[in-house]
Order: sequence, then structure tokens, then C-alpha cells
Amino acid sequence: MVLLINTTDDTGVTGQLRELLEKTGTNFEIVQTAGMKINPCMGCNHCWLRTPGICSIRDDYETVLKRIIGAGQMWVITDTALGFMDHKGKNIFDRILPITTMYLHFRNGQMRHVPRYPVLPDVGIIFRGEADRAYLERWTERAALNFERKALGVFRSDEIREAVACMR
Amino acid sequence: MHAVIMNGSPRVRKHSNTDRILARFLQGMTEDGSTFEQYEISDRKQWERARTAFQHNDRILIALPLYVENIPGLLMEFLETLIPRGGDATLSFILQGGFAEGAQLRCGEAYLEMLAGRLGCRYGGTLVKGDNFGIRLTEGKEQERITAPYREMGRVYSREGSFFSEECRKFTGPETFPFFTRLLISVVFRMIARKRFARAARAWGATRPLDDRPYGGRGV
Repeated sequence: MVLLINTTDDTGVTGQLRELLEKTGTNFEIVQTAGMKINPCMGCNHCWLRTPGICSIRDDYETVLKRIIGAGQMWVITDTALGFMDHKGKNIFDRILPITTMYLHFRNGQMRHVPRYPVLPDVGIIFRGEADRAYLERWTERAALNFERKALGVFRSDEIREAVACMR
Repeated sequence: MHAVIMNGSPRVRKHSNTDRILARFLQGMTEDGSTFEQYEISDRKQWERARTAFQHNDRILIALPLYVENIPGLLMEFLETLIPRGGDATLSFILQGGFAEGAQLRCGEAYLEMLAGRLGCRYGGTLVKGDNFGIRLTEGKEQERITAPYREMGRVYSREGSFFSEECRKFTGPETFPFFTRLLISVVFRMIARKRFARAARAWGATRPLDDRPYGGRGV
């Protein structure tokens, strides 16, 4: 399943994605976070040490997290700020901590937290606005390591067809 | 020298590893004769004063934990509200994280260099160091052993106003561990660290195993 998490207020991009993905018969789900309450990660570590796998912040992120677990691909559609994704996009990634345990191991030459679940998604980014694309690509490669999965690429919001070509 | 210090950790000050690091760092700074004013980004009530301090000082330092290869979302939200300077201030960073190898922090460091320019500041370098997760789980001398080296770095920052010296570069420690060190670490994690984590979890009130899967599936 392809999970599309739209953290922007604009549903135009997801409208285009829906249209193109329906044509290709891709199994997908869209989550619009604009109307949701998603707080930033506080780094309390409760999801590792007190209530393993469960975030202590009781807000709408839990419904997002449940969808991330078991998805084959996760695409975050985000606005940009200061050359990178804005805080709303970043919060989606920061809050993934419960999908890992605090145990550590080496994988592909990197020390990583042991994933809590056997099926986690590959990661792609669609961004709206100005950003340092080369850096975003580097960052997405690194972020995907947390899932022990691969990066699917970074696309501008006017490159939807190229992004859809990577969705399956 | 007078510096504006911002603790960019989203964790409340009482539990902030970054705050413990800053305490030692600022001790060194003041011993060298520098002064500072400190703001906590975890406390939104301080944001207005922190913004004003950013606008009116020429030496600014943001200390932060690495969150998913970059800056925490809450710090990003704060930075988005700043009006960029006109190249008349120097912005430096202390970047800290849990993973011990320096290579783990380089992606975040690369962004911080870019960020200084985006905020209209000269880049004053980043003091990079991992292996700090234990600060939260330790007290007294054991915690002091982890944070004490930052005191000397505070003196260096006070003298030089940046983190470009060889001393600061070496502070990071090994970029990656040799094969046999990694092997040893793996064994330690399997044999010792897991028991220690389980003990810490019991002390925190955990009633489920640390590899529990609350949303389904088998254990790790």
C-alpha cells in the first residue's frame, strides 16, 4: 500500500495524485493532516522506556503511525522552510520514534535502532516551495535508514508524474 | 564576549541532555570571562524574547539534539519565525546525539551550515559529538564524566568565537569505529545493554517488554 501524508493546506497535489494512482490501479491511501492536531516530538523517550511503542503525546498522530506500520511506501508531501521541509513535515518524521526499539545494531555499515515491526515503508518526499534539493535527497536517504528501507526520491510538486512512476 | 545561547531541545529543561551539556560548556565560557543569556526553545513563552535576542546580538549559539538526521521540528518551527539578519552576526551550533560515531551527525551538520546562511548569519562552525544518550540515564559522577569535556570547549568558544579549530574538530571522536570495536559494541548491546535498558524501563514504570508491538505483529 502507498501511503500519502499531506502536511500542506493544499489538497491540489493529492487530488492529482489520486487521479493518477486510480488510473494505474495502485493501492493507496491519503492522509490529510491539515485538520489534525500533530504536536512536535518532545524527546521524552517514553515510547522506548515507559510505554514501549506508544507515544506519550495523545493527539492525532497515532492514526498516522498505525498507517505507516505495514505500508509499503510512505510519501510525505510538505511545504518548505529555510531550504528544508517545514516543521509540519519534519514533525511527521520526528514522531516515528515508536516504530523503533531502543535496542541498537549495525545494519549496512550504520548503527541503527532495531525496528519494532517487520514491515516498514520505503520513503519519498514531494515538496512545495523552494528547498535545497540536493540536501533533501541526502537527508531522505539517511531518514530511510531509520526504517531500514530505501529512499524513493525527492520530487517538486510540479513533478507529480515522475513521483507516481515510483509508486507501486 | 557576550553570547546568546539557545537550547534548541524540545525536551523540558529538567530532563534535557542538551541543557546538561550547556551547563558544562557555559561554565567554561564564563571561566574565560565571557557572559551569556540563555533561552529554552521548549518553552514557547520564551520565543518572543529569544527572537529579540537573535535580532540584537552578534554572537549566537544554538545547541540541539539530532532528531532524524536534522534539527527537531519544534526548533524548526521557532526558526521559521525569525527575520534573517544582514550578515552582521555569527551563528554557531552545538550538535549532540545518541549514536557515538561522528559520521551519524554529518548530515545534520551539513544542514546547520546551510541554515546559518539562510538566517542571514556568518557560520561559526558546529561542535559535533554523539554518545550522549546516557546523560538522561545517569547521575552524579557518571553523568559528569560524559558532560565534563564540554567545559574546555566552552573556553575555546569564549576565546575564538567559533568552532573551527583543530581542537573542536577532534572533539567529535572517531568518525566510524573499527570493525573489532563495532563487534565488541554489538556483543555489549546483546549481553549487557539490553539488561540495563530493561532495568531503566522498570524504574520508569514500564509494564510491557521493550520490544512490544502494541499495534500488532510478533516481538523483535
